[in-house]
Amino acid sequence: MRLSVPVRLVLSAALVAALALVPAVFTTYFTSAVAVRALVFGLAAVSLTFLAAYGGIVSLAQTGLYGIAGFLMARFIVTNGMDPILAAVLAIAIAVMFGLLFGAIVSGSEGIYLLMITLALGVITYYFFSQSGSFGGHEGINGVSAPGFVGNPVTHPAAIYEVLLACSVIAYVGVRLLARTNFGLALQGVRDDPVRMRALGFNVRLHRTLAFAAGALIAGLAGVLGTWADTRISPGTIQVSQVIQLMTIAVIGGLYRIEGAWVGALVFTLLDTYTRGITARFETWIGIVLLVILILSPDGLTGLASRVFTLVRRRGGATPTPSSPTPADDAATVPDPEQVGTGSGQGQVAR
Amino acid sequence: MLTRRGPALLSWLLLAFAIVWVAIKAFGQGFGISGNGPQFVITALNGVSLAALYFITASGFTLIFGLMRVVNMAHGSLYLLGGYVALDLVNHGMGWWGAMVLAALITGAVGLLVHQALLRWNQGQDLRQALITIAVATILADQMIVHFGATPSSLTPPAELANSIGLGLYHLEYPVFRLFIIGAALVVALVLWLVIRFTRFGMIVRAGVDDRAMTSSLGINVPLVFGGAFFIGAALAGLGGVMGGTILSLAPGQDDQFLLSSLVVVIVGGLGSLRGAAVGALLLGLIEQLSAVYLPQQFTNDSILLTFILLVVVLAVRPQGLFGRRT
Amino acid sequence: MTATAAAPMLRSRGLSRYFGAVPALHGVDLEVLPGERRAILGPNGAGKSTLFNLIAGDLAPSEGTVELFGRDVTVLAVRKRARLGLGRTYQTSRVLGGLSVEDNLYLAVLGARRGHLRLLRGGSERAIRKRAREVAEQVGLADRQHAVAGSLSHGEQRQLEIGLALAPSPRLLMLDEPAAGLSRAERLSLTKMLLELDREVTLIIIEHDMDVALTVAEHVTMLHQGEKLLEGTPQEIRANKMVHDLYLGNTHGEG
Repeated sequence: MRLSVPVRLVLSAALVAALALVPAVFTTYFTSAVAVRALVFGLAAVSLTFLAAYGGIVSLAQTGLYGIAGFLMARFIVTNGMDPILAAVLAIAIAVMFGLLFGAIVSGSEGIYLLMITLALGVITYYFFSQSGSFGGHEGINGVSAPGFVGNPVTHPAAIYEVLLACSVIAYVGVRLLARTNFGLALQGVRDDPVRMRALGFNVRLHRTLAFAAGALIAGLAGVLGTWADTRISPGTIQVSQVIQLMTIAVIGGLYRIEGAWVGALVFTLLDTYTRGITARFETWIGIVLLVILILSPDGLTGLASRVFTLVRRRGGATPTPSSPTPADDAATVPDPEQVGTGSGQGQVAR
Repeated sequence: MLTRRGPALLSWLLLAFAIVWVAIKAFGQGFGISGNGPQFVITALNGVSLAALYFITASGFTLIFGLMRVVNMAHGSLYLLGGYVALDLVNHGMGWWGAMVLAALITGAVGLLVHQALLRWNQGQDLRQALITIAVATILADQMIVHFGATPSSLTPPAELANSIGLGLYHLEYPVFRLFIIGAALVVALVLWLVIRFTRFGMIVRAGVDDRAMTSSLGINVPLVFGGAFFIGAALAGLGGVMGGTILSLAPGQDDQFLLSSLVVVIVGGLGSLRGAAVGALLLGLIEQLSAVYLPQQFTNDSILLTFILLVVVLAVRPQGLFGRRT
Repeated sequence: MTATAAAPMLRSRGLSRYFGAVPALHGVDLEVLPGERRAILGPNGAGKSTLFNLIAGDLAPSEGTVELFGRDVTVLAVRKRARLGLGRTYQTSRVLGGLSVEDNLYLAVLGARRGHLRLLRGGSERAIRKRAREVAEQVGLADRQHAVAGSLSHGEQRQLEIGLALAPSPRLLMLDEPAAGLSRAERLSLTKMLLELDREVTLIIIEHDMDVALTVAEHVTMLHQGEKLLEGTPQEIRANKMVHDLYLGNTHGEG
């Protein structure tokens, strides 16, 4: 089921080119309500699937990091009158600093402990922004202007869409490249067995902390772009239900595949946009969808798709190739997709 | 394993500074009634009664984790559900006491249902279970809005607990109900301690905390015990909800608040430790109430940062929590 | 030969570890000289793996000291001991299940070197890859380099496990039951590989399989109930009646 590298490159380029045409083909409403939002969610969710796929870290603090970048940039622009680009860069840098701090805090923990601590961090970030006077309280910050080349994202979403698409491609390629570096390989080693990695001479906590900072970079980028697209940010953007929503997106797409983030984001946004008219209880349905996926296919839609693909090929008489995938591809997946972090295994011991 | 003296020393200094700071603010003008002493007594009592509420709720959370390694992310939702059910029962004419008992039982039953239907067959896959309880929390939160609305409401305490009594100190009066919560927390702590210490059920719970593999090889009806523990844990959340719904309010968002407080309490205290839950609850309750009064004015709105600092300090010194065991 | 070369590679003094009040290891003195092949024997629960964990730093001793390469490492972190030149395997394989055999070995070589966080591939990458391939060949996984470690058979995982310990070219190699669960053929090739091991490498091996252990080892330390029972050559150990009663006559499985 592996296509050769050049074929995959051509297909990917074609996919990106087709996606770039979305604003030209679809209505402004679709571009703004579905395409732009899906890309923002996708980028935010990649910060989660990146940590999960390569670091074995399932974090619920990514929404908080999104908020830190978004709120700080909004404040820099609206209150301090800073240039939007400069404000964005500064805000992302601060989000990365917080990523380092959060990473240092949680790097001694694994599995559900980490899940709990990151959830606490995410919720604390939400309460901070909703209570603190400097960030507009419950109202949040309105009238955040995007840089000139983006124009008005509300009336003309095409420009912000293309920016988001470009950033998504950069994030995806960046993550894939990072995975092949010494750091990226070591991070995957830490994911598979931190005890072994320590015995090999690696600093496990440092790798986790830096991975968190890299995740914060992506989440911060999403926060900045999302705030530009919305022209505003409020604590509601990062409240607990949003934390859960982001996790839902990642789980729908497949928690342990970085591509899953965009698949999940698209499915979620489509559901969100077109079912709200049918049901008033959208949250309940999302909860049920999440539940069903966790029960039936814990590795999400991408996992389901690849299993079906494998099955079809087996039936189609292709020679079964049990164990010769290229390392680059399998690096992005966890060994046994059946087991969404059967946490208490060996890796769990070294809290 | 290796003691980390630097962070430990720093955290003791931090604690000492906080105590001195509060002491100066409270008693800097002497211990007389004209000083800030009375305000301190009330604030401290508020802190302890809030801690009592946190403990009742978080003890259920830590019990479930201690036995089954299940992080029940729907714990906050069960808290709110308990409060709402009691409110509904009272609105249908039931007394507060009856509503309290029934609401706790109903919440326990809901917890048991969640366990039997969604968690029993994937025992050991702790991350998947945690995510499943997140889905349950989403559904419960939304359904509670459907059935109980989004307008904040609250329970009225029973008549015999509705008054205030004199404390015999600075001529102060204090609501009986808040003292009742402190008493209730002590009862819950005592009962749980007795059960865990002296019963067969408790023996299994302790075995579960000490050695997971042993739990299943004891030849005891483990599924029954697990179900029972989940029932009790959820019922405690519901009981907390009834108490909290009486002194605070019942509204969407309270579930998140109490999920957070339960998380912080057990992360600080150490997962699975009852003693840890008590200490964690006291720290959190006191910090929240004292910071509202004693933090310099311009920082009052940022008091959540103290919770953050508490978390950071404890995890830096003891990643497993104050009374947690290193596995 | 200089004086430092003759200094022991490993020296423990009064090494003890209690779990609660239960001693898993009590007052063990051990000295292993450069180039030695030492076997640690003893029935289940004798404290063999605890000893390894104390030496490698995965456990902190309750009492006593550990010296590696003439340096007191009692409070040194696991990864720093590894970087001094200590390689080890685990009783149950700890391979990096999501990575290829080659990447497993690549990381094992990298661990002892600089550049853990390097983002750009330098000339060192080629050298590391070359070393990784050599090790794959040495442990008999040359044709499985692109297989994902998690998909290997049990025997292959044991081979990789040894490869992970060997790859960084450790000065002291500690193997924890390397033959556990291997077929007869696999045991023979394991024994052969260990016999061919460079004399620069000092070897300590825990093994239940007497054929493997007593063929490879020149020196044996018997542990019993957490204490050192006796030391001697394989011949002495085979001849000792106490050992027979305690252990060799005992036909229980490994644990």
